Amino acid sequence: MSHLSDDEFVLHYYGEDGSRIVATERHLRSCAQCARAYEALARTLSAVTPPEFVEAADDLPAIRQLLHDRLRGQQSPPAVRPLLEGEAGLMALVWLVPVLYPLSFQALFSSARFAQEHIVGMPLVALTLMWACGGPFVAVLALTRMAVDRFERASTRLLVCGALMAAISPPLFLVVSRVSLSLNLGLWLWYSAIALASLIALFRWPKTSHSTARFLYVHRLSALVLTVFVSAHIINQAFAFFSLSLYTMMRSIMRVASQQPAMYTLIVGSVAIQMATGAAMGMKRVRAGALARNLQAVSGWYLAAFLLTHVFSALLFSQPQAATTVAPSVNQFDLLAGPRSTAQLPYLLLGVAAFLFHVGIYARLAALVYLAEASVRRLSYAAMFVGTTVVLTVGLALCGIHLTR
Amino acid sequence: MNDGDLEAFLSLVERHRRYMYNLALRITGNEQDAKDVIQESLLNAYLHLEQFERRADLRTWLNRIVVNCALDHLRGLRRRPDRNDPRPLSDVVDTAASSSPDPERLVTSADWRRQVSAAMNTMSPLERVTFTLRHFEGCSINEIAQTVGIGNNAAKQHIFRAVRKIRLALEPHWSGQ
Repeated sequence: MSHLSDDEFVLHYYGEDGSRIVATERHLRSCAQCARAYEALARTLSAVTPPEFVEAADDLPAIRQLLHDRLRGQQSPPAVRPLLEGEAGLMALVWLVPVLYPLSFQALFSSARFAQEHIVGMPLVALTLMWACGGPFVAVLALTRMAVDRFERASTRLLVCGALMAAISPPLFLVVSRVSLSLNLGLWLWYSAIALASLIALFRWPKTSHSTARFLYVHRLSALVLTVFVSAHIINQAFAFFSLSLYTMMRSIMRVASQQPAMYTLIVGSVAIQMATGAAMGMKRVRAGALARNLQAVSGWYLAAFLLTHVFSALLFSQPQAATTVAPSVNQFDLLAGPRSTAQLPYLLLGVAAFLFHVGIYARLAALVYLAEASVRRLSYAAMFVGTTVVLTVGLALCGIHLTR
Repeated sequence: MNDGDLEAFLSLVERHRRYMYNLALRITGNEQDAKDVIQESLLNAYLHLEQFERRADLRTWLNRIVVNCALDHLRGLRRRPDRNDPRPLSDVVDTAASSSPDPERLVTSADWRRQVSAAMNTMSPLERVTFTLRHFEGCSINEIAQTVGIGNNAAKQHIFRAVRKIRLALEPHWSGQ
């Protein structure tokens, strides 16, 4: 056995070295150098004693008063607070998102047309785009603020179903409107889908008591493959803002690569594994009060719906060669030109953002293993800046704005 | 929720308050911050009482709230450089190296407590919380990871870094002997 590392000494000191405990103890008896090093560590750590247990100050009356004041403060205005605090308010909010979603991109299209003639209409475009893209953020807010994280109550299930619908409205609407168009049903199919989703909340959900560790491992493994492919895709979309010709060249190379049978199988297989393992983990990642976990869960929901729409569109619909495919045509860069293409702008932008959030949150957790918290925080800020820049450049390119053509 | 609910809640947590306070004190290192953490924890616990409904152990649930409130509190303090600005490790090491009394007596002295406190002030909030839970509270790494909401490996790494900082700050005391 070679010499022990400092970290192994620490684990041994705290009895956290598991099955190696006997081997470590034996080594410490036989190796004078390690024994000395361990003794130095043990001497220092044993001298770090906890502060003596003290009586808590008798400040119960003060705490009572403070809780009274704080609770009163929480129950009073601002006006929006009761809406966000109460379960009913959250529920109304999450269900309003899918109900109003068809109006949002119509408003986006109208405001874009107005902005073409009047430059003062630009803030209106930004506002309507935020409205159209707001669903997943509303979902995260609702899940984080919900009171309980079990799904035994119908009201909690209704809230979570609403959050799911709010999150996946953009891709789901594209699929539903495609079917709706062929059956000439207008918006009725969309509202029926919303009603169906609310009905699911009335039934008890199966308990997911199994361990998700194995699913998580497979999920991450398949995510690696997709990350390479999707990152290249996103970077190329961002290139389109700087140079359309560079984008076209890159796209043709990537298309040749991704259309190889082996590569295509790998990508489609990874997407299928992602969704199957994501579904198997179910709602386990959702937890009241845990912003990062909920952000990862919601971005996962969105990505599943996005990839299903994007990658499997040719398989889902019998006429992929038709002019109105569900997945947007990638060389179509003026998405604000028509009301139908406008619906693809929030869908694509949220796809990019969901991917960056989903990968970013995992990368942050992984980085915490190797780096100090302060360094991870600084890296997170830098990553957020880069991510925002990428989303903005992709957005500008999709709106037909290019530095060079 | 009404006044009766609040009174019932306060009487329920009263027997755990001493332990909660001491946990907050060990994590934050001073009484005023510990009091702030306890107030915030009790408010959070009261507001999210529904989440406790069927959990078996009230103390475990309250501890988790205290730990996370303390973590938030420490992070908040770090964003305010006017308060509790952690000392650079080099300062602590210099101070430690300059004094080398009898180690037996040293560890019981107020000066030693100040040295330990200063060494802990060099830690990041997560390092401080994970170290406190492991070293003072005797929690396992698995428990710490679950309480703080990080992976087991991340919890281990934070403890390793915390121990490294403690050693760097305090070992000059022994090396002089």
